[in-house]
Amino acid sequence: MKAQPPKRALQFLRWFCREDYLEEFEGDLIELFEKHFETSPKKAKRKFFWGVMRSFRPGFMKAFYKVNYSITTAMFKNNLKVAWRNALRQPFFTFLNTSGLAIGMAGALIITLFLHDELSFDKMFADADRIYRVNIDNRTAGETNHFAAVSSPLANVMQSDFPQAEMITRLKMSNSILLKEVNAEQNVKEDYVAGADSTFFEMFGLKLLYGNAKNALEKPNSIVLTKTAALKHFDLDEALGQSMVLNNDEVYVVTGVMDDLPKNSFLRDHQVFISLSSFDDAKSLAWNIWSFPTFVKLRPTANKESLQAYLSTVKDRYLIPWAMTFMPGLTVESAKEMEKSSGDFMRFTPIALTDIHLHSPNIEDELSTNSDIQNVYILAAVGLFLIILACVNFMNLSTARSLKRAKEVGVRKTLGSSRSGLIKQFLTESTMVAFVALVLAIAIAALCLPYFNQLAGKAISIPFGNPLFWLALLAVSLVLGFGSGSYPAFLMSKFAPIKGMKGGNINGNGGRTVINSLVVVQFAISLFLMLGTFVVFQQLNFIQNKDLGYQKDQVLIIDDVDATGKQIEAFKNQVKTIAQVENASLSSYLPTPSPRGATTLFPDKSLGGENALIIGSWDIDYDYLSTLGLELVAGRDFNKEFATDSSAMILNESTTVLLGLSPEEAIGMRFTDDFHREDKENMRYFTVIGVVKNFHFETLRNSIDALSLTLGGKPKKMLVKLNAGDFQKSISELETVWEKFAPGQPLSYYFMDDSFNNTYDAEQRLGKIFVIFTSLSIFIACLGLFGLAAFNAERRAKEISIRKVLGASIGQITYKLSIDFLKLVGLATIVSLPLAGYFMNRWLQDFSYRIEIPWWVYVLTAFMAVVISILTVSFQSTKAAMSSPIKALKQE
Amino acid sequence: MSEHSLGEFEELVLLLVAANNKEAYGVLILEKLEEKLGKKVNVSAVHVALKRMENKGFVESSYGGITNERGGRRKKYYSITSIGKKVLDQQYEVRTSIYQQIPKISFGQ
Repeated sequence: MKAQPPKRALQFLRWFCREDYLEEFEGDLIELFEKHFETSPKKAKRKFFWGVMRSFRPGFMKAFYKVNYSITTAMFKNNLKVAWRNALRQPFFTFLNTSGLAIGMAGALIITLFLHDELSFDKMFADADRIYRVNIDNRTAGETNHFAAVSSPLANVMQSDFPQAEMITRLKMSNSILLKEVNAEQNVKEDYVAGADSTFFEMFGLKLLYGNAKNALEKPNSIVLTKTAALKHFDLDEALGQSMVLNNDEVYVVTGVMDDLPKNSFLRDHQVFISLSSFDDAKSLAWNIWSFPTFVKLRPTANKESLQAYLSTVKDRYLIPWAMTFMPGLTVESAKEMEKSSGDFMRFTPIALTDIHLHSPNIEDELSTNSDIQNVYILAAVGLFLIILACVNFMNLSTARSLKRAKEVGVRKTLGSSRSGLIKQFLTESTMVAFVALVLAIAIAALCLPYFNQLAGKAISIPFGNPLFWLALLAVSLVLGFGSGSYPAFLMSKFAPIKGMKGGNINGNGGRTVINSLVVVQFAISLFLMLGTFVVFQQLNFIQNKDLGYQKDQVLIIDDVDATGKQIEAFKNQVKTIAQVENASLSSYLPTPSPRGATTLFPDKSLGGENALIIGSWDIDYDYLSTLGLELVAGRDFNKEFATDSSAMILNESTTVLLGLSPEEAIGMRFTDDFHREDKENMRYFTVIGVVKNFHFETLRNSIDALSLTLGGKPKKMLVKLNAGDFQKSISELETVWEKFAPGQPLSYYFMDDSFNNTYDAEQRLGKIFVIFTSLSIFIACLGLFGLAAFNAERRAKEISIRKVLGASIGQITYKLSIDFLKLVGLATIVSLPLAGYFMNRWLQDFSYRIEIPWWVYVLTAFMAVVISILTVSFQSTKAAMSSPIKALKQE
Repeated sequence: MSEHSLGEFEELVLLLVAANNKEAYGVLILEKLEEKLGKKVNVSAVHVALKRMENKGFVESSYGGITNERGGRRKKYYSITSIGKKVLDQQYEVRTSIYQQIPKISFGQ
């Protein structure tokens, strides 16, 4: 048998090679192959292959484009050419059309990227679909709260009798810490710190850059730093094994360095992880301390329901038996009975890791601020609106413009063009515009994204490298091109040729109705967004200016004052001597964001459990109430004259409401938080000496919770009330004092009202995003209206001229041309405003303290819509009305 | 001028076509080349040179008959055109005239 040359190479040669060269080349290659084959078959094959590859050059290739040449492609090319010429012939319309669509697409693109980022949260963790966190839902006295952290023994209990759990990890929220290398002078402050069990890294599939992930967090006094945190102290490769001092107190060893955590994860800001075994309360068996976010990785066979089923047994089996040890007479049955009669409850509920970011708003003790699925929906709707607006524009302008091309259609039909041919032509035109708009949109989006990122606090980029992204974009612009091109295409191709040729332009009633209703839709959407924006801003304004029950202005907060150690009181007194300082107070707790503490209190002689209060508990000092300007409604403030005040307590009004007492009746009541102890006679009691007027210490989404204030604690912050004047001067004086008491420690301070405003960051951002996209949508709608008005004026040029000649004034003609559009805007207002009002009222329901939408907001919105549309339309109308009649009448 | 330019490799191929007039085809030229130069040459390089020269009009080609060799593919025989010959002559003239201007050089052994 004769040797056969490699088949594939030969096929390839035949595929690309010019026919007139092929036989010669093939022959030469085969002849050589046969010759070489006798000496070495392998070499022959290689040479043959090589020969083919070397012939793969432009000069030897077929002219591929000629291969598929057919009438379809020729027509397509012709269509493109016509489309291009048409676009150039009416540059103004083309510009309006393309830019409107491009802006809409760019807006929608940015929104899509934003939503994609929001929806991608926590999905990067290994086995994210099997990881759940245990939350607590708690209802006390009609008030339901959700907590992201649970009691420490839960993890141990699950480990021993919930076999469906593959792994369990506890975290612990920690306050900010001061950190330095053992020999360093300066501390570095780390705000985002968490305690973590040794299984933490394995649980979330996190790898360490240095150190062993398996046991890095095993021993007490171990810390793992992220790259960013480590670089503040060491070179990366030196960090491992270094000793560091925490809060000027304990020595910790760096046992690992990890990469920074992904920006779209619930741990995004965290820089330092401390082994949980370093915390005393991690060993606690108490079920009433909720400070450990607990994560469970289920086995693949288990699901959320099995976890829920298990969790619902925990209370009866462990929590109540534990409570029985210090609450005589309590049984599982009596506890159930109590829950039933009071309507209160406390339950453990699982939440999927990937649901944390969007599906658990209003949760307390969360590691990072969450977003809300509602915002995702709102923005998705806005994005959709934008695209609809842009498409409507596109459709309107194309339809309006195509009506003018009736003559062209007539000629084409007469010359034998089929209906489908015409449809194809119009669709080619619209798709071409859509693609040009797409390119523009990508450019616009890329330019605007950095600003958007700043606004939204994100790090989004356009995934240029992702083929799926391009595919989606192509698909979308094809759909847009076809979708918005289809109406004019079908409308135009329908005309009888004679009509088009005779009339020159057609007053197709079908076309007008559709255009008109589309304008109504456009303005309805714009008005909706406009009203929404007004309401969001009204609400924000309301929140920021609401009387909070305390004075936040001119109050300076100094963090980490415990760095002054035992001299903390002396420091406070020294600060008070600064001329501008009116008052100063030490406490860890603030009405603005700060750690929160809760405690369980029993009123005197009711240890049966019926009146247990789980309420906020703040440690303050003598100057706290006066510094913040809190008012008492009954009783008195803490006073140094009374030695007994160390066991005194001040409640807020909400607590007295909870107790069902008037503030005056509450004075003198005794409470204990010391109910665990065996020797009941030595229990510690607090006597209520005063009731403070309610003040807002949660965001205004929530109502005011019950709160108890006592003296003592380990204050970490200082509040300094300043008189009006030169703040800079007193701050520099403060720095001098600080340097004396806490040399080498960073002084971090901020104003309370700034901190307050930050609480509403999410709303502020939402508000700003709303404004941007609302303005965009109005802009697009106006572009469309502008284009339509221009088209209308042009179409009616002859009519206008005749009217003018017959004596109509400019005002009359302007009115005549504008009124049609104003009617449409009016109709849009009537349709849109009630709907918008309904939806915005629903949005407001989320706030405990909210505005009623005032009537003038509706009026203002409608007024603005009318003004904007008059401005848009009248420019064109006046221009048409003022032009010389002779010009229009002359041409035929 | 450019259409009459002749590269070094092309010149070699053209010389071989002229030397084996009417008998020259790809593989034959390749083998002679390899023999004269004493190194391996890829057949597609020969093809490139032939096709270029054909476009310039230095060579012309015609198919031979079908044989059992080469998997039944016809050979394409090349022959030199009058232009080709002229270019070759010119090239030769230029070279010899310059060569003759070389004075006697002694390399002082």
